[in-house]
This record gives sequence, structure tokens and C-alpha cells, in this order.
Amino acid sequence: MKTLDRDTIVSILLLLFCGFLIWAGFQIRDPQFGELPPAAWPQGVSYVLTGFCLIYFFQSLSRREAALAAAAEDTERPRGIIGRLRHFSNPIACFALYFLFLITLPFFGTLIGGTLLVFLLLTLLGGAGPRELLLHALIACISVGAMWSLFTFGLRVLLPRGEIMPGI
Amino acid sequence: MIFDNTIAAIQELATFQTLLLMTVGASAGLIAGAIPGFTIAMAVVLTLPFTFGMEASQGIATMIGVYVGGLSGGLMSGILIGIPGTPSSVATTFDGFPMARNGDPGYALGLGVWSSFFGGIISTMLLIAVAPQLARIGLEFQPWDYFALIFFALTVTASLAGDNMIKGLISGALGLIIAAVGEDDINGVKRFDFGFEYLGEGFAFLPVLIGLFAFSQLMSDIRDRGSARKALSEMKDVSIRIEHRRAIKTILADWINIVRSSFIGVFTGVLPAAGSSISNILAYDQAKKASPTPEKFGTGHPGGIIAPESANNATAGGALITMMALGIPGDVITAVMLGALLIHDVVPSPAFIADEPKIAYAIFIAFFFANFLVLALQSGALRGFVLVTRVRMYVLASIILVYCGIGVFSLNNIENDMWTLAVFGVVGYVMRNLKFPLAPMILGVVLGPIAERWLSRSLALSTDVSEFFTHPWSLFFIIVSAFSIVFSWYQNDRGIKPWTVWYAPLFLLSVTVPLFLMGGIFRPVLAVVLIGIAIYLLTKLPANLKALRERQ
Repeated sequence: MKTLDRDTIVSILLLLFCGFLIWAGFQIRDPQFGELPPAAWPQGVSYVLTGFCLIYFFQSLSRREAALAAAAEDTERPRGIIGRLRHFSNPIACFALYFLFLITLPFFGTLIGGTLLVFLLLTLLGGAGPRELLLHALIACISVGAMWSLFTFGLRVLLPRGEIMPGI
Repeated sequence: MIFDNTIAAIQELATFQTLLLMTVGASAGLIAGAIPGFTIAMAVVLTLPFTFGMEASQGIATMIGVYVGGLSGGLMSGILIGIPGTPSSVATTFDGFPMARNGDPGYALGLGVWSSFFGGIISTMLLIAVAPQLARIGLEFQPWDYFALIFFALTVTASLAGDNMIKGLISGALGLIIAAVGEDDINGVKRFDFGFEYLGEGFAFLPVLIGLFAFSQLMSDIRDRGSARKALSEMKDVSIRIEHRRAIKTILADWINIVRSSFIGVFTGVLPAAGSSISNILAYDQAKKASPTPEKFGTGHPGGIIAPESANNATAGGALITMMALGIPGDVITAVMLGALLIHDVVPSPAFIADEPKIAYAIFIAFFFANFLVLALQSGALRGFVLVTRVRMYVLASIILVYCGIGVFSLNNIENDMWTLAVFGVVGYVMRNLKFPLAPMILGVVLGPIAERWLSRSLALSTDVSEFFTHPWSLFFIIVSAFSIVFSWYQNDRGIKPWTVWYAPLFLLSVTVPLFLMGGIFRPVLAVVLIGIAIYLLTKLPANLKALRERQ
């Protein structure tokens, strides 16, 4: 069997997701009143989405040869899992740092956590030489400090505080 | 009535705080619009968290400042560095950049600035004149008509899809699914929650929007080390002066170009999903065709700057007409504005101007004032733009990422919203890389709950589905929706495939049915006129078909 192109794989994954949605639609409780049951709209949309995904699937199959040829010619496209991971290393690392910021938010709070996040992002993307580290620390402190002050004092928003320093 | 509403709106907006917010918004819009990669939609989305704590009219006024600023800001980078800041300034670079390189950057900027201003003013006048008239029709609407109208707006996703329609439609349907997660409005039953409290509450609109649009865009901007460390330009000259007097003289001499381009802009803005990225190119094309010296276009011709810049600013007025008169977001920016109104419990609908005259007139006044504000701020923003272009991309991205998080938290003071932001940032990034357009998804998220609500209200009044076809407005929108779905294919096949010659006459004949059903005098007369045009097109049909076959 020949290799599947990206669109075919995506369409299969989407179809699986549609199947899951249809199943989940049947789990919605019906309160037995009102003309439009709560499940009707999401179920209707799920069926429509399934229809679109089926068209996408068949379309991708019919265009597979052309898509595979185009992919083979595309020299910039990353190959293999390692290649893809390397290609998307910056966004992956940034997302990971962002999720880490969210997980540690109850401990660090917005001011310290945010400053750390900006500093780490800057260092990850911009390099970690002594001069850069100093510059990144400065940028992180000033930018997050200003943002935090604006929201806390200007807009009166109680931003999440951390256990480490409950006052901020 | 109009006078009272206008005075009330002016009183609402004429506060130091609102004027300051609009000034800040317009400055931010100017700079954001000038930076390639930062779309106007992104700037408006990032403004949303700030507007949450404001009055509805104040928040919308700030966003309009950003919107108008963004439309005008795109010209700076287009003229000075040859890269359009936004897609709405693509055509400006055709003549603006050559003129700047020929040693006339101040004149080119002056033409751009003043054309934007005049385009904005002409479109404001049309907005004030047309929107209330259109909105009167909204008072005739019943639940079936509302649902059909929203259904029509959802078919716009087909046009927003770009090259790959099926991906756009999938994206739109996914938006509807996202909006369906959580408690439903009518019965309060939780849907797709899988026992998680987080999902049971549903996704707030704003974190989804910022995640999909801004977060994922930033990730794309810093994808590799090279692009992350790059500044937009190494431009050092901050002493460029805008030549106002010379530019105004040229524009007034070429007033036909300004008026024509502004009308093109307004008309394109009224059409759902068309927008300023199309209007500026259309206006440029028309200006070139109408010019006695078309061969000079592309070498630094003033008309080549006047046309796109007046058209793209005028588009905003057109888009606001559709949003305010019909409650349909024509593009992502007006979708965000509708979202902002929803946050303030103002439900956009065809009855919007009648129900919320204070906010509606505040929008008119804010749009009018924003044009003056942007004009005054351009010189200062030019300096700011030159400075921002020297900042490395990764610095901007890192700071904005944290700002996004803090911004969405301020919406409901809920940490879960920050998680939603991050999750939809990943979703948006994956979709971008898989070439799924994001605009239809946003439309689905905004319109999904409204469509469901009106469907439920319609069925509560009558379970007879034929009501959708017997109410004239509902039938009208169902017919328009059917033709709207086919429109993308029509655009692609026009002049190539024979079926396309039937499209226009069939469309005209179909819409006459609901027009006759509406009764009165004007609408049946209009229907008769449309039938006349359709018959004329049908008589031309054999000749068109023959020409098509000969070409093939």
C-alpha cells in the first residue's frame, strides 16, 4: 500500500472525532420539555461536520497522487518524527513553557510567573549569552511589571496571586 | 429622534476617559496595522480584554479607534519598506513604494494619509444615511426570519474559506461545535462536558478567539530561530515628514478617484466576507482603467495610492452597515465587535439600532471621530512605527503571549480561561499548519449560539418547518443562502463553464418570489425591475453560451 498523504490522515482523524461527537451527542440528557431538545443542535452540527469530513476524505483520496508528488518536491517540508519535532521546536517549547506557567501559576502568581515566563521565552528564542541574559531580565521585569500594574491599579483586576508571595 | 440619539451618543463619548481610550486605541491600531504579520483583526482581538471593564459604547469606540487606525497604519510599511502592514494595503505598495524610492516618501505618505481620511469620511456619511434605513426592515423580522438570516451568515464561511472550500466549511462546523460545548441557553443542560466542570461551563468567546487568532499567529512568527530573531527593518531615518498640503491638492484634483474608490470600498464592505483586502485591489484596478495614463501605474502614480487607501478605509463603514443593520458580522473584525457587544449583554440583531440607539449612534460618532483622530496621530505613529520595526520579533512575541494570558483572565477572573487560551492556541497553530482557514471557525463560534436560540424560538412558536419557506424574509434568506453556497464555485468557473451563465438570471428570478410575497408598493415594483433584468440576461444567454463554447 502506498503512503497516505497528510490530508487523508487528517480527514481520517477528523472522521474519528466526528464518530466520537455523534456518540457524545447521544449522552446529552433530554429534559423532556421544549420543542428543541438540547442534543438536537450539536447532533445536527455533528452530522453536517461528518458530511464535510467525508467529502474531504474522498477529495484527499482523489488528489493523493498529486499531493504526494507535491510533498516529495517540497524540500523545506520536514521528514520523519524527529525532523518534524526539530522543525517545530520553537512553538513546541513555547507552548510547553506556557503550560508550565499555567501549572505553576497558583505557586508563583501572575507577577513572578509572568516575569519568569517572559524571561525564559526570551532566553529560549533569543540566546543565553551574559549580555542577552541581562537584557532579557530587564525586558521581562519592565514589561510584566508594567502590565501587572496597569491591570491591578488601572483596571482594578485581581490577577492570580501565588503562594510564594501572597501579597502580589 | 435622530438628533436626540446623536446628542445622547455624543454626550456618552465626549468624556476625557473615552477620548483618551480612543486615542490610545487609534495609536495602537496605527502601529499594529503598520507591522507586517500583525493583522488588524489581531489588534482588535487584543483590545477586547481592556474593553470588558468599560461601558459597551466606550468599549466599541475604543475598538473602532483600533480598527480605523489599523486600516490607516498599513500604508506606512507598504510605502516605506514595501511590505504591506495588512492585506488591505497590498495595492498601496504598487505605487507607494516606488514613489518613496523615487525620493518622495513624504508625498506618498501624505497621499495615503489624506486618502484614508476622505475615504473614511465618505463611508461615515453613507453609514449614517443607510444603516438606519436598512434597520427599519429589521423590525419586520420574526424568529423564522432571524434564523434564516443567521443561516445565511453561516454560509458566508464558504466564501471565507479561500482556496479550499471544504476545509473552510469544516472549520466553520468546528466553530459551531466549540460554541455548543457547555450549558445550553434554553434548557440549561450540559453538553459535551464528559463530567468535567471546566467543559460544563463552556468556552468563553474571548479566550477562544485570542487563542485561535493571536496566540497561533505569534507561534507562526517565531517558528524558526532566524525569523524569531529578525527585526522587521533596520530603517534608521525617523525624520520623514508627511507633505500634507501637496497631497491635499493632488487628492482634490483627483476627486472622482476618491469618490469612486470610496463607493467601491463601502459596497465591498457591505458584502459579507469581502472586506478591505479585496476592495483596495478592486479600487486600484478601476483607477488604473479610468486613468488617461494607465501605463504610469506601478511606477509611483498618485492615483495608485489614492484609490486603494480611500477604498480600504471606506470598507470599514460598509462592514459596520451590515453589522448594525442586519446583525451579521461581515468579517473577523466585525465578528469580534459583535462578540464584544455580547459580552456587554447587547445581542446584535436587525433590531439593534431600534433597541440600542445609544450604542448604535455612538458607533456612528466614534467612527466619524476616529478618522480625524487617526489623521492627527499619523505623524507621531510614523516615529513609533520606525522604532517598533527595530524590535526583534521574539521580544514582541514573548511579551504579547503573557499579555494575552493576563488579558483573558481579566474577562471573568477565572484561571480556566487562561487554559482555554493555551488549548485553542495549540488548536489554531495546528489548523494554520494544516492550511485550515480560521476565519470561518470564528464565525461559527460567534453565530452558533445565536442561530440555535432563534431556531428554538421558531420551533416554540410552531413546529411546522414550512414556516421557514412561507415567511417572505425567511424565504428570501434561504434563497440567498443557496446561491451564496454556490457563489465560490461560480467565481471559479465564471467564463469557463456554461452553467455559470444561468447563475445571475436564476438568482434574480428566485429573489423576486419573496419580494412579491412581502407586499406593499416598493418591493413588488423592485421585483418587476429584477424580472426585467433577468429577462434581458436570458435573451443574452444564447450569445454568451456561444462565445463560451468558441473560447473553449
